[in-house]
Amino acid sequence: MPNLQPYANPTYFLILGAALIPLIIGFLNGKRWHFYETLVSLIFLILIFDGDKIEQGYALIGYVLFEGALIWGYTVYRQKKNSTLLFNLAVVLAIMPLVIVKFVPFLNPGSNSIIGFLGISYLTFKAVGMIMETRDGSIKKFEPWLFLQFMLFFPTISSGPIDRYRRFKKDYLKIPDRDHYIEMLGKAVHNLMLGFVYKFILGYFFGTLLLPRLAHLAMASRGGFLDLSWGVVGYMYVYSLYLFFDFAGYSLFAIGTSYIMGVETPINFNKPFASPNIKEFWNRWHMTLSFWFRDYIYMRLVFFLMKHKVTKNRVLIANLGYLTLFLLMGFWHGLTWYYIAYGLFHAIWIILTDVWLRFKKKHKDQIISNRWTNYLAIFATFNTVCFSFLIFSGFLDKLWFH
Amino acid sequence: MFKKLWHIFGPVLVAALGLMVLLLSPLRFGRPSAKTLSTAATSMSANVIKGEAIKDAAFDANYIPVIGSSELSRMDPLHPSVMATKYNWQNKPFLIGAPGTQSLTHFLSLQASGNHLNGKKAVVIVSPQWFVPKGVKANMFDFFYSPLQTSYFLLHAKNTAATRYTATRILQLTSDTTSGVVRDALKNKALGLPLTQPQKVYIANVKRPALQHQDQLFSQLFIHGREKFVQKGIQKLPAQADDVQLNTVATTLGQQATGDNPFGIKDDFYKKRVLPHEAQLKGVQRNFNYESSPEFADFQLMLTYFAEHKMDVQFVIPPVNARWASYTGLSQGMLNRFDQKVRYQLQSQGFNHITDMTEDGNQPYFMQDTIHLGWRGWLKVDQALKPFMATKKAGKVKYDINNDFLSRAWQNVGGDQVEDFD
Repeated sequence: MPNLQPYANPTYFLILGAALIPLIIGFLNGKRWHFYETLVSLIFLILIFDGDKIEQGYALIGYVLFEGALIWGYTVYRQKKNSTLLFNLAVVLAIMPLVIVKFVPFLNPGSNSIIGFLGISYLTFKAVGMIMETRDGSIKKFEPWLFLQFMLFFPTISSGPIDRYRRFKKDYLKIPDRDHYIEMLGKAVHNLMLGFVYKFILGYFFGTLLLPRLAHLAMASRGGFLDLSWGVVGYMYVYSLYLFFDFAGYSLFAIGTSYIMGVETPINFNKPFASPNIKEFWNRWHMTLSFWFRDYIYMRLVFFLMKHKVTKNRVLIANLGYLTLFLLMGFWHGLTWYYIAYGLFHAIWIILTDVWLRFKKKHKDQIISNRWTNYLAIFATFNTVCFSFLIFSGFLDKLWFH
Repeated sequence: MFKKLWHIFGPVLVAALGLMVLLLSPLRFGRPSAKTLSTAATSMSANVIKGEAIKDAAFDANYIPVIGSSELSRMDPLHPSVMATKYNWQNKPFLIGAPGTQSLTHFLSLQASGNHLNGKKAVVIVSPQWFVPKGVKANMFDFFYSPLQTSYFLLHAKNTAATRYTATRILQLTSDTTSGVVRDALKNKALGLPLTQPQKVYIANVKRPALQHQDQLFSQLFIHGREKFVQKGIQKLPAQADDVQLNTVATTLGQQATGDNPFGIKDDFYKKRVLPHEAQLKGVQRNFNYESSPEFADFQLMLTYFAEHKMDVQFVIPPVNARWASYTGLSQGMLNRFDQKVRYQLQSQGFNHITDMTEDGNQPYFMQDTIHLGWRGWLKVDQALKPFMATKKAGKVKYDINNDFLSRAWQNVGGDQVEDFD
């Protein structure tokens, strides 16, 4: 069997198209062939994790069995009792594999943990989400088959979007009516085609053609203040555009494929560079991730702080929430100074934005707000976001320390 | 329902069909024009190096490949491309090479020309700097790696020691670029096995036509020739190609450009690349070694190709700027032993057209910078190329190819021990 990385080349799309045709025929005739769906998923998982990626394949199997057993155990426990300690323990255990995978290259540069595999962080989000919803009582019983379908849903396995269990289950068990399914097909084709433009034309242009030249230029003109040069500035913008088109393109493929399989996976990007401020940006950029952090980290922390009356200062509570959220997001990206600096940068930025928004609300009459100030805000936000992506890219690390 | 479905999938199907016709049909697109060839001849562009269509057309026309690396871009008025234009050489140089191209890249590009070079001529500028202990860097090889040329190799290369060696090298150097069927086919070649039928069918009927059509359609776009340098250069040259006058021009140009920096190299190069780190550079090349390298075996592949296709080849071995070498501690003894070794490899197999300039590193205005030929250096090359390139057809050649030059033992043998090598 050849090894195929998801959405990486024309061969992948040809095989994908051929494999999905029977499903389309089924849906159009009001049938949902779970058996065939599972078979297709299985084949694609094997294609991703066979050949020289076989170790990752074993790691994936081990990981899913571990998380399954953990969630199962916790669900059984939760039906009888609800101790915070045990809940905390379950969450810690659920993220443990990811923590190990992130720590190994940190402690031992150049090596990767044997329990790692492509997509482990996305699966961890899904698993932790399930434990939290079980605690809330929104998930009442453990359904092993649905759990596997949810975790191993191949269109989104390697890089999201991050779906939620209850939403996925609803789609998975339902047969969309014909008109609705045809509409979904239309969206699917649109997403896939737009994905091609994003990832293989624009992403390629920025990432493969331009970026190396700018990197070279920036490295060649080191020596000034902080080694900054026009090359670095160019790198910042080109990298940001590359990051967007590559990742958004990838998400569009995942969503398009999901739709054909009758699952309405949530969108991940909604014109992020048109955001007038950073709060709005995070509502539009890598949305399933930021909503996950919002719902499962930020909201819960805020709720916890209020319930335990740690402080009554709402602003302080919100700020602590942001700081935790973005630092965690930084750590999640990896244990390097630039990911953490990136997290910190966004936390501080969003806190300052809140200060400004409160000030603006108080002084509504004195502050001009019209179409042009909105454009100015979009422009400023875009540039600051690009700067944060320059930190995120790790290029400064290369520029300064290598 | 079908109408709606047609609205969704119709455009996709039409586009897919169009793409299939474009990529897989037996049609041939866009023969390169004479203008394209003359632009490509001085472009040194990666698209040209990695392609086939333009080079094949050029070799059928009056172009002779001049194979090298970074020195080809040092286009002062004495550069062969400028000289050929000014003095209307019958055959023009077609520059193949860029910073980072070495023997293996050149061999893959040559073999993909197949019979277009049969019984013709070529020039090879052999940089000593290619022959570093680890050979070509994987990322450099990868940058110039051409799936198109590899597909030609897979379909045409006979099972010989050179073929097995080539396949092994590609597999070593491009773990990321090649994958799937091509990688498996390369593994077969490396083991001396024929391709399987499915591999052959896929590579010959899907992979190669698609890549060929991409090459025919796209590699002519985005190439930039160095016509500007050529036009500027010809104005500086005397009306008649008289050696004494040319030498005076080369000397004057060299004098003007070098100023009074301690290495006698182009002043802006000195100011930008040397001066900022001058102190650190002292002695840094003390341990450089060009004597043992996998490059010697990669180089042998080119020789195998030349012999198989009965080509007449002019080799040029450029020197290193002597003042630079002594400042950085680069050993002239080592350079001489390198020269001895590479000449042994050439001459013992019958390649006798060698312009060896190893000892010329201390001639004034010979090098444009530290390792790249300039004014008087190019002039010496021109003096060899002018008569050589007067005809495109090779005379009678007789080569005696020895596969031992592919061996690890040859790669490692010292330049002063070549006579003992058997």
